[in-house]
Amino acid sequence: MQDKPHRSQEQEFSEERSSLWRITFGPLVWAVHFVASYAATAAFCAKWPEPETHIDLLRLGVGLATLVALAAIGWLGWLAWRQWDFLDDHDYAHADGNSEDRHEFLGHAAFLLAVVSFIGVVYSGLPALFAGSCR
Amino acid sequence: MSRQPNDAPPPEGVFPPTEAMLAQPVPLAEQEAQAERLRRVWASPKGWRILSDVNNTSVGVWYALTCLFFMLCAGVLALLMRVQLAVPDNDFLSADRYNQFFTMHGSAMMFLFAVPLFEAIAILILPSLMGARDLPFPRLSAYGYWCFLIGGIFVLGSVLFDAAPKSGWFMYPPLATKQGGIGADIWLLGLSFIEVASIAAAVELIVGVLKCRPPGMRVNLMPLYAWYVLVVGGMILFAFPPLIAGDFLFEMERSFDWPFFDPERGGDPMLWQHLFWIFGHPEVYIIFLPSIAIAAMIVPTAARRPIVGYSWIVLSAVGTGFLSFGLWVHHMFTTGLPSMSIGFFSAASEAVVIPTGVQLFAFVATLMVGRVRMIPPMLWIAGALAIFTAGGLTGVMVAVAPFDWQVHDSYFIVAHLHYTLFGGMIFPVIGGIYYFYPLITKKMMSPRLSKWAFWLIFTGFNLSFMPMHLTGLKGMPRRVFTYPSGLGWDWLNLVSTLASFIIAAGFAVFVWDLLRPKARQGDPERNPWQAGTLEWTHDVPGEDWGVRSIPYVNTRYPLWQQEKLVERMDAGRFYLPDAADGERETLVTSVIDGRPLQVLRVATTTWITLVAAALTGGAFIFPTFHWYWPAGISGALAVISILWWLWTSTALIPAKETKDVGLDLRLPTYVSGSGAVGWWAMWITMLGDSTAFASLVFGVFFYWTAGADFPPEGADHAAWPWSLMALGLLTASWALMLTARGANRRDRTGAARLCLCLAPLLALGGGAAMLAAVMLPDMEPTSHVYPATMWGLTIWTLAHVGAGVIMQLYALAGLVFGRITPRYDAPMWNVTLFWHFLALTVLVTTAVTAGFPRML
Repeated sequence: MQDKPHRSQEQEFSEERSSLWRITFGPLVWAVHFVASYAATAAFCAKWPEPETHIDLLRLGVGLATLVALAAIGWLGWLAWRQWDFLDDHDYAHADGNSEDRHEFLGHAAFLLAVVSFIGVVYSGLPALFAGSCR
Repeated sequence: MSRQPNDAPPPEGVFPPTEAMLAQPVPLAEQEAQAERLRRVWASPKGWRILSDVNNTSVGVWYALTCLFFMLCAGVLALLMRVQLAVPDNDFLSADRYNQFFTMHGSAMMFLFAVPLFEAIAILILPSLMGARDLPFPRLSAYGYWCFLIGGIFVLGSVLFDAAPKSGWFMYPPLATKQGGIGADIWLLGLSFIEVASIAAAVELIVGVLKCRPPGMRVNLMPLYAWYVLVVGGMILFAFPPLIAGDFLFEMERSFDWPFFDPERGGDPMLWQHLFWIFGHPEVYIIFLPSIAIAAMIVPTAARRPIVGYSWIVLSAVGTGFLSFGLWVHHMFTTGLPSMSIGFFSAASEAVVIPTGVQLFAFVATLMVGRVRMIPPMLWIAGALAIFTAGGLTGVMVAVAPFDWQVHDSYFIVAHLHYTLFGGMIFPVIGGIYYFYPLITKKMMSPRLSKWAFWLIFTGFNLSFMPMHLTGLKGMPRRVFTYPSGLGWDWLNLVSTLASFIIAAGFAVFVWDLLRPKARQGDPERNPWQAGTLEWTHDVPGEDWGVRSIPYVNTRYPLWQQEKLVERMDAGRFYLPDAADGERETLVTSVIDGRPLQVLRVATTTWITLVAAALTGGAFIFPTFHWYWPAGISGALAVISILWWLWTSTALIPAKETKDVGLDLRLPTYVSGSGAVGWWAMWITMLGDSTAFASLVFGVFFYWTAGADFPPEGADHAAWPWSLMALGLLTASWALMLTARGANRRDRTGAARLCLCLAPLLALGGGAAMLAAVMLPDMEPTSHVYPATMWGLTIWTLAHVGAGVIMQLYALAGLVFGRITPRYDAPMWNVTLFWHFLALTVLVTTAVTAGFPRML
């Protein structure tokens, strides 16, 4: 009751070490950053004394959160890139029914999602740069 | 992980099968005997009894035809509106009736057509795409369908009695809360009822994709349609519950005058807008993704090659699924939010274009490198790409806030949304119907009529909606029942109206082609489009068993890439070729690699789903007329019928511990805990349920930021000693549930029973204490939104405590009457899982009602 060992790395690609959740980590960082920025802005503009004069505080906060989120996504992207291991066999199709292709496919998908999430976070950070106002 | 006592036995034998095993022929006599047994087990009931069928092929067809009927009704409403708008100062429809029509057109198209049609198509084709016999919970699909049918007739029927809702499909308060009549109540209660069907479908489809794939189909080999279904199922879990929570608040205001949206008593109509659009914007993608998923199946077939950029399309589906939740405020750009907040949503609205665009480029790339045959479905897909791109481009424009301020609530928006929905949904779905028609009915639709329908709808659509961009830019607001002449809108409206009848003509051709009798047409080819995916191994003429035997799959396009696959499936060479015990069965496999894990017995024909749906309907529909007693009785009977359904057909103790599934493999028949499909269903349901609860908590924080008087000066708070007592008792009940599960596993049945006798008592005590915490202080819910939200959270949690108690009693009864044993204890795990979520809910409720307001 086990998969035919196609490659020597079979152990490394075993199903137990894999999870579908992992491909969503990049977008999850985007989501957390997005919700945090939105909530911070809503609370700041509603509750901070004289928010308009202290707006730079909020902008700085959102900016810092953006850098943290970008670093996290960058790291996740790097892990995913290594899992994809493109430079090893130049495989980007992963169309075969073996553990290595499944493993690299999940890496590839996670990498692409990290790229999209990275761009998403950059976009979300832009309002702090260009539209810093509670009005 | 080591085996625990009383765990299911592990699978035994060979996997994956060797070529030599697959090459061994099955004797002809055996083949026929097997087929006969399968046919008998899976036979659908005949005559009027067909209504008790639960097979996905029957339920899916009813579902789809019901959607079609509702769509045609909503389309007729649109035509009548267009007639009214054809010329200025027209009096064809009164303002009131026009309001009812546009509200019902939008509501029906969204809730009674677009979303349910996704569920219908997925229920219909997903098992065939994965070589499965059926989905894991056929009765749940049937229940969902009946809920949809009853709710849909109730909501849409109101238009015939001049009682329809009339404040727009998004029901903004205060207009909708203050409106007389029962229209808004019909909308709120009827559509909440239908959302039950959506959540049921989400559970069914997510578990279906994750656990019911054919052996060997790893996640990197899944048909793209399945990827999209998985993403959309997940989106439903996070998008629909906020609306359910919003409906709950809204109906409490309308029925009992709790001031959630009334600014005079601290409420805020903006909360509804937030909750509605947290649902409403992802919903657009819930409609779009599964439709474009159909394109992802048709494009490779038309191009006669595998899809280009499989990983990119997965990125696209998952990425869109996430980003689409960051768009909701772009429907609220004109409400005066801080410009930085607006900026975040504008940014996300632009970012979502990236994953959305990626899949379209992947399709174009596949077509470029393939050898394209222009089969009829492909024409519709091509039209979809053209129209959707236009709608997407105006989407990029309106995502820019200053542009949106100019065109908000104008006909420009009407044009934009119809471009996205026709291009993103109508066209690909019609293409899909042409494509899958032979699979579903074993007949072909006419290529000639397809062309007629396509060109009529395509031209009619563009002639009708393209001018609306201009009408909008010239300032015509949406939702006005008439307009004076001389504003430059006259001829534009006339063109739109005339062209709308061309669309209608196209639909008439399409519907005729769909429904016309085809008895004289012979059997079609089995794989008429020479496609590569598993659904085209279907039987012609049709059989009820889904697949003759469940194949071992190790490619993305098995029909192109695996030799002799169909021949061996037909011969019963693969898994589960027989129904020796006279039971309906399908395979459960692992999430990542599709390793076979279990033979799952699936439920058969029953009337209980229809009965349960009708009774559930009563619980939702009677309150519309303030008939609370009948509603309560109907709800109680619904609970009883569902319990009877669960008791008689789920987690049945099997006659054999393991079963031979063919190809030298034996699999367990009963699994409990996190390996069981029922556990997954509970987990997924509770995820959705928690989202609704989180929306209520969001409401509390929203009121805190939005108003200066939350909580009002000197207001009474929930009595914290009672709250703490509730927390203590309910946590103890949860701990007892957990102990009962463990004790039962270790064969200490007496201790388990004792725990389960005490647990419901503690839970009831905890519930009473929780009620006392808001009842004893001066917290009149109609006086201000602060006590109303505290009451709202409490009622929500109490309802769940009630459900938790019923489940504990169910488990107790299972132990007492031998339905649950130390080895066969799946219900114990599922109930405990529910209680994990409940304990968390109680903790949050206590913190938010007793703790949070005191800290402000």
